[in-house]
Amino acid sequence: MSQPQPIDVPETVEQVPEQGQKPQDVRGKSQGQLVRQRFFGNTGAVVSVVVLLFIVVLSVTSIGIGPIPGWWKWSPDATGTVMNSGRPTLSLLPPSLGEHPFGQDNLGRDLFAMCMQGTQYSLIVMIVVGLIAGIVGTVVGGLAGYFRGWTEAVLMRLTDVIIIIPLVILAALLGRLAISWVRSHGLPTFATVLALGVLIGLASWPPLARLVRGEFLTLREREFVDAARLAGASSGRIIFKHILPNTVGVITVNITLLMSSAILLETSLSYLGLGIQAPDWSLGRLINENQTAFATRPWLFWWPGVFIVAIALSINFIGDGLRDAFDPRQRKFNPKRAREAGSGTDTLRTPLADAAQPGAAGQATR
Amino acid sequence: MTSYILRRLITAVLILLGASFIVYLMTAASGDPLWDLYGNPNAQQLIPARVEALNLDTPPVLRYFTWLGGAAGCLVPFADTCSLGVSRDGQQVTELLGFAMTQTIMLVTVGTILAIVVGITLGIVSALRQYSGLDYGITFFTFLCFSLPSFWLAVLLKEVVAIQFNDFLQKPVLSMATIVVMSLVAGVIWFLVSFGQMKTRLLMGALGFVVTFGIIYFVLATDWLNHPFLGIPLIALTGILVAVIATILMAGLRNRRALYAALGTVVVGLAVYFLVQDMLSNGGFLTILVFTVVMTAAGAAIGYLAGGYDRGQGARVAGVTGFFVALLIILDRFMQSWPEYVNSSHIHGRPIATANSGTPGFTGDFWATGLDRFTHLLLPTICLTLLALASYSRYSRASMLEIMGQDYVRTARAKGLSERTVVMRHAFRNALIPLATLVAYDIGGLIGGAIITESVFAFTGMGQLFVQAVRNVDPNPVMGVFLVTGIVAMVFNLIADLVYSVLDPRVRVKA
Amino acid sequence: MGKYTFKGKAAVSLAAIAALTLTGCASVGGGDDSKGGGDSSAAGKDGGVVTVAETNKFSGANAGYTKTNLDINGHVAAMTREGFANVDTEQKLHPNEGFGTYKKVSDDPLTVEYELKDTQWSDGNKIDKADMMLWWSELSGYANDADEEAKTGKDYFSIAGSTDILHTTDMPKFSEDGKKMTVTWGKPNADWEIAFDSNSFMPAHVVAKKAGMSEDELLKVLENQKKGDPKSPQKQPELEKIGKAWDTAFNFTSTPDDKDVLVSNGPYKIENVVENNSITLKKNENYKGSMPGKLDEITLRTIGDATAQIQALRNGEVDIMQPNNVNKDTLDQVQQIENVNVQKGDQLAYDHLDLNFGSDTFKDKDVREAFLKTVPRQKIVDQLIKPVKDDASVLNSQMYVSSQGEPYKKATEVNGAEKMYGEPDIEGAKKLLGGKTPTVRILFNNGNPQRTDTFQLIKESAEKAGFKVQDLGDPNWSEKLSDGDYDASLFGWVSPGVGTEMLSQIFKTGGGGNYSKYSNKDVDKLVDEARTNLDESKRVDQIAEIDKHTFEDAYGLPLFQSVGYVATSDKISGVDKYQPNQTGVFWNVSEWSRK
Repeated sequence: MSQPQPIDVPETVEQVPEQGQKPQDVRGKSQGQLVRQRFFGNTGAVVSVVVLLFIVVLSVTSIGIGPIPGWWKWSPDATGTVMNSGRPTLSLLPPSLGEHPFGQDNLGRDLFAMCMQGTQYSLIVMIVVGLIAGIVGTVVGGLAGYFRGWTEAVLMRLTDVIIIIPLVILAALLGRLAISWVRSHGLPTFATVLALGVLIGLASWPPLARLVRGEFLTLREREFVDAARLAGASSGRIIFKHILPNTVGVITVNITLLMSSAILLETSLSYLGLGIQAPDWSLGRLINENQTAFATRPWLFWWPGVFIVAIALSINFIGDGLRDAFDPRQRKFNPKRAREAGSGTDTLRTPLADAAQPGAAGQATR
Repeated sequence: MTSYILRRLITAVLILLGASFIVYLMTAASGDPLWDLYGNPNAQQLIPARVEALNLDTPPVLRYFTWLGGAAGCLVPFADTCSLGVSRDGQQVTELLGFAMTQTIMLVTVGTILAIVVGITLGIVSALRQYSGLDYGITFFTFLCFSLPSFWLAVLLKEVVAIQFNDFLQKPVLSMATIVVMSLVAGVIWFLVSFGQMKTRLLMGALGFVVTFGIIYFVLATDWLNHPFLGIPLIALTGILVAVIATILMAGLRNRRALYAALGTVVVGLAVYFLVQDMLSNGGFLTILVFTVVMTAAGAAIGYLAGGYDRGQGARVAGVTGFFVALLIILDRFMQSWPEYVNSSHIHGRPIATANSGTPGFTGDFWATGLDRFTHLLLPTICLTLLALASYSRYSRASMLEIMGQDYVRTARAKGLSERTVVMRHAFRNALIPLATLVAYDIGGLIGGAIITESVFAFTGMGQLFVQAVRNVDPNPVMGVFLVTGIVAMVFNLIADLVYSVLDPRVRVKA
Repeated sequence: MGKYTFKGKAAVSLAAIAALTLTGCASVGGGDDSKGGGDSSAAGKDGGVVTVAETNKFSGANAGYTKTNLDINGHVAAMTREGFANVDTEQKLHPNEGFGTYKKVSDDPLTVEYELKDTQWSDGNKIDKADMMLWWSELSGYANDADEEAKTGKDYFSIAGSTDILHTTDMPKFSEDGKKMTVTWGKPNADWEIAFDSNSFMPAHVVAKKAGMSEDELLKVLENQKKGDPKSPQKQPELEKIGKAWDTAFNFTSTPDDKDVLVSNGPYKIENVVENNSITLKKNENYKGSMPGKLDEITLRTIGDATAQIQALRNGEVDIMQPNNVNKDTLDQVQQIENVNVQKGDQLAYDHLDLNFGSDTFKDKDVREAFLKTVPRQKIVDQLIKPVKDDASVLNSQMYVSSQGEPYKKATEVNGAEKMYGEPDIEGAKKLLGGKTPTVRILFNNGNPQRTDTFQLIKESAEKAGFKVQDLGDPNWSEKLSDGDYDASLFGWVSPGVGTEMLSQIFKTGGGGNYSKYSNKDVDKLVDEARTNLDESKRVDQIAEIDKHTFEDAYGLPLFQSVGYVATSDKISGVDKYQPNQTGVFWNVSEWSRK
């Protein structure tokens, strides 16, 4: 998560005092501090951050990452004897993990280890998607919005071309391409994970680009940008020092939500057999492989599902919290108080609100 | 305006061309279209046949233009020159698409409408009660639905709503203890999501308990699930409820004339109830349509004649009431066919279906086949609605919150307008404007977006066609699906922009 | 439904509401009418409806045509076509006297006499000489003269199998009334009894109509067709028309306008096809054979997803399902359903590991043997198959599957598989390798969880002996099978159950299914002998000998026979045995009824 930088120009929307708050609470705080303060005041978002961090730490330390070993005794691909038909040994009363807390599959592999690898790979896909889509979307949208003219025309038409291909269709085709490309080049199977992330990222930037362009279009006409231009600042300086920091909110919120749809998209691709391939596990592939076990060995189906839902849910809540933090317009609204008070309007219309919704960040796969 | 639309259309065509070229090359690059034949004992015959049928000797770039030529034929009306190529099994893609489209449209229409209506309602309600238990409840629920892998949800729905419910139908009995527990749970939920002072909330909880208990008791005691009915009493009850709600929302209870007009419409509906039964039994879709229109018009007329200080308002309220009363009477007619449908030899007493779009081989009159459609569409519709709920509810919540903070809303309040007027007339309508865009975009994406739901519920729509084609490396159906979804997406994007400019006078299209 | 009924309804509603106040017991609900699904009045009579779940989509009524040779089409053919013999669940042939009789009149040259009973197509057209001639012409490929290399000539009928069995026969001779046909073979063929495959039996009068001629004209053309010779191809345009009609006329995916192509000579006939969704068959009222159907209607529904099929079965939407892929979860799930009976059995398919003789790694016989010694076959069976079928055991023959009984036993006695590769011998493998650590790339279908699991187990064991195992898993594995860029392959063969054709396909040098480039002169010779041998017990000896050679050459290893099952709602009677061949559960469709 990129940390918003303090802004060198006063008079931005974020410094408008919040409704119902006394102005002296706000004075002397940078935008970053404000955002942080608002974010950490949001219980749902904070709980989600804790949950997400817990999952990340758990998945990385338990089975280790790459060559670094973890503390968990089983590895995801070690087969063994199936004990007690693979039932989970996790128990709450008395609390104990047992040999295989989440149970085993039919080869006796440890489901906890498999879930951890699945979580890692799903997270990797998610982060790569976030990075790629974030960078491409911001660059394309920013360039189009700032320079306008033919740059804008070309870039936005390109965006239009990609955006009308339904995301699932695009992702499915790209997934197919990624798989055959990795195979034909004899690369290790892990490359599929990265390739999938990169390609889904390359497919899902257009909505972000449109939003960033909108932001840039508004901001470049603002007085402080004019002032900087008159003072002789270069385009690069104006973009990086003056405009970009003001769009951090839109970008961060959107990337967050994009990542949560990415993890679900990967799940859907796995269901269609176009996602991460054996012998690697993603959470989507785990559920998909075990969907027939739904009624008979439910743990094979539920555990990975719980992780997907937990990750997607917490990211959505974090996104929601970030939106609230960056954009105070939707903060506490109270009809009674609103009638009594009468101040605290904001004048700048940003597309932030439009951006921060699940549907706008990426198409849901149904 | 015309020149704007024209320019947009030309750009749209160019974009479509570009996108189709990209998709074509990607499909071509994604694998070998002959892969399934290599192990086949008849490979010597089959391979050349497919190479010829799909024109595989030509390099993909040239093949694209051949395809484009065929597709361009579709633009000539009535000329029968339309050709989108053949699938690898030799079927015309245009035929495949025609069939798949009807299936998909059937699948997604109701789900989308429900998601929009329910989602927006939830969003508005949670915005009006921001940071209340209700708001948190709705937020959590919608986010949860959004975070569920769709096939996961589908499998669960089949298990619970279809199989277990059908099992329950065989012997619809619950012990008193179960009913009490269920009602208690409902009461607790009502308590949690209600707002206001503790006393009100407790009262709501108690009400929730009583209402749930009453409903469950009624349903079980009358074996309602196997012999559903509304009859005069329930139509009257629900009708009055609709009349009151419509008045509250659209006119305010102070407008007594509107209320009386609406109630009068309910009475008229009950009066014609017996008269229309024969007509409905022998009729079909058209009869339903005419009946609904007539009832709505009758309501509007009653409202207008009732007069009062705002005739228009009265007419609207009574018209809406008339519409719903008509729906209730039609619903009642469907319910009359239910036992016959459930006990037919194709259904074997287990109505809620888990797969396909209809019971193969089942025949019956309009009402029975209608029920068959309903039982098959129920699960996928619930599934699609839940999945799409989040985007509408969150979006409308945000939009509503933003509007509620605007100056003109504050002005409206300052004028001393009632909260109902402020919300319904000033805020709600304006909050819907940006939603129009979202809805349009969404419909554009939906035609191809229900892939997973289609596959789990064995609907052979566009999504299935596409997935099969991608798996088989079968280029023409992939292109066909893309073409349809792409065109729909473009058209709806254009509609979204136009609608936006019509609804929001601040936005003007460049003429 | 008129006004009158409705008034009754309103009365019921009112009475029901009145009843509300009167009931006050500990449990609520339960109307007075009994609801027992199919048992209730509507379906209790003779006839009734049975619905079967299918994985694929129906694509045509000619299951013998290459492009429509698909399981579901074969199932439809099993209900709409019958021929001289039926196959039971033990893969034994039973003459179908209701259709006709046949007897071998001479061994050398092999001569068989077929005699038709007085049967007819469902549209009333008699089954006669023209039908028989058409049938023989397709299956013998008498006039075929295509040359693959030179790309000249033509195969007139695109049949799904090969013309192998009947290809050496002469033009059949008919009795005066056309009821009796005598076929003489140029070279004896062990499979003569299954020569006439009922899947490709098509009504001559319909084919004639589609080819634009009368049935008599069609018969003339067939009688006058010239023996094909790839070296001097000749045009036979009239025959070409017939072939084209046979190929294309019966392909439809929704109810065709022309009902002619729906004619049937089996117990049921196609009534209605809903594109991609279902196909409904009604009882054939004009059926003249000995196995008439009992039901009114049979519907095949396409439900691709395995879980969805099970849920549909549980929900009573389908009455019968017979999945292709079986795993523990689906089986357990089906077994847990109340009111559903499950018949288990061995499929005719078996999984096997083949070593590629064309690869560098396995040029050396010692390396091949070492690798095979590491394969933990018992463990694979224990972990993958036993959970599904308790009495499963390791398959020890490449030629026969264990459910074939006597021949399998004989082959295992001779081939020495048990002795050589019974238990994994890591030490022995190490010794053979002598410190080398060859890399083995294994091709398999990683879209099939069972194969992926098998691969995992083989990999673990082989790495203990020093092999480096690489995963070439690919959902499109079959694409890679013939190009040979792998060291070992893991896949399944489906044996037709009867016949010897697969011997020359798989084990003969250059055979169509010999992807491992296996070549052994003794085996080639034995295959040719076995295929022309009419004496069954001697043939088994020869085949067992081939089996022995493959193990000695370290060809590969058979692993296990796949398990199959059919699950049936207990409201259906007549489905009481598992049929492993491609006809599947439909083999005795005429005995099905609804209780």
